[in-house]
Amino acid sequence: MTDEFERFLRGSLAPPERLPDRSFVASMQARIALEERLDRQRRQLVAGLLSQLAALAAIAAGLIVLSRSPGALELASDSPQIFLAGLLAAFGCVVALFSSSGRLRPFATR
Amino acid sequence: MTGPNDEDLALSRRSAAGDSAAFAMLVEKYERPLRSFLARSVGPENADDIAQDAFLKAWRAAAQYDGRARYSTWLTRIAWRCRLDRLRKERPAEPGEEVVETASSLEVEDMLARLSESERAALVLCEGHGWTHSEAAGLLDMPLGTLKSTVARAKSKCRDMWEGADRD
Repeated sequence: MTDEFERFLRGSLAPPERLPDRSFVASMQARIALEERLDRQRRQLVAGLLSQLAALAAIAAGLIVLSRSPGALELASDSPQIFLAGLLAAFGCVVALFSSSGRLRPFATR
Repeated sequence: MTGPNDEDLALSRRSAAGDSAAFAMLVEKYERPLRSFLARSVGPENADDIAQDAFLKAWRAAAQYDGRARYSTWLTRIAWRCRLDRLRKERPAEPGEEVVETASSLEVEDMLARLSESERAALVLCEGHGWTHSEAAGLLDMPLGTLKSTVARAKSKCRDMWEGADRD
């Protein structure tokens, strides 16, 4: 009885004898390919954000330097409209910069 | 000198270098025992999802496989951690205590369903997959003595069911 039980148990619990499941292997390969693509996109997104932050910091630093220069202070007090137009132009440059980097489409599927 | 795990180590190193064909060979080789173990120990409904998670983690951690343990042991350990992670997220109750009614024609699934999850896992690994007690104890995070008594208890329960069904 014991031997028969042991045989039954071992035979039943052993992995089934079969060929590899090609569909499972294919689904694993597809999932790995997807994960790899997502990883690449994440890296691109982070790199894009870092470059945008660097660009923003450079523009801010430039504006600070400009605003402290005697010529700019004089212009702001003498012709505030022109000074404001300059600020708006700088803001337009920032918007243009960010919208152009947005065209990289970090979540594009290919 | 070549070791018993050298072939898998080489495939794992190629996988770590980004060779997905090498990793597909490892998946081909080990999906059968891994999915069989998971289906027996945690149930067929979750087995394939956990196996996929485990293979994905094995792909990401391929560089960490050093060939000291068998690849199947390393992979099953990853799968077991995936299972525990899922349990923590899904439900706080003690796993694997569900009991099904005895079927008139007793199958091994009926027997396993009446064991706790750790008993099932220990029994399947040691009796069905040829793992040593210490390998299984490492996987299940149990002292060796506890593992041995868990296997013995599980076998004893199964034998009782087997003999009871035989009498009916």
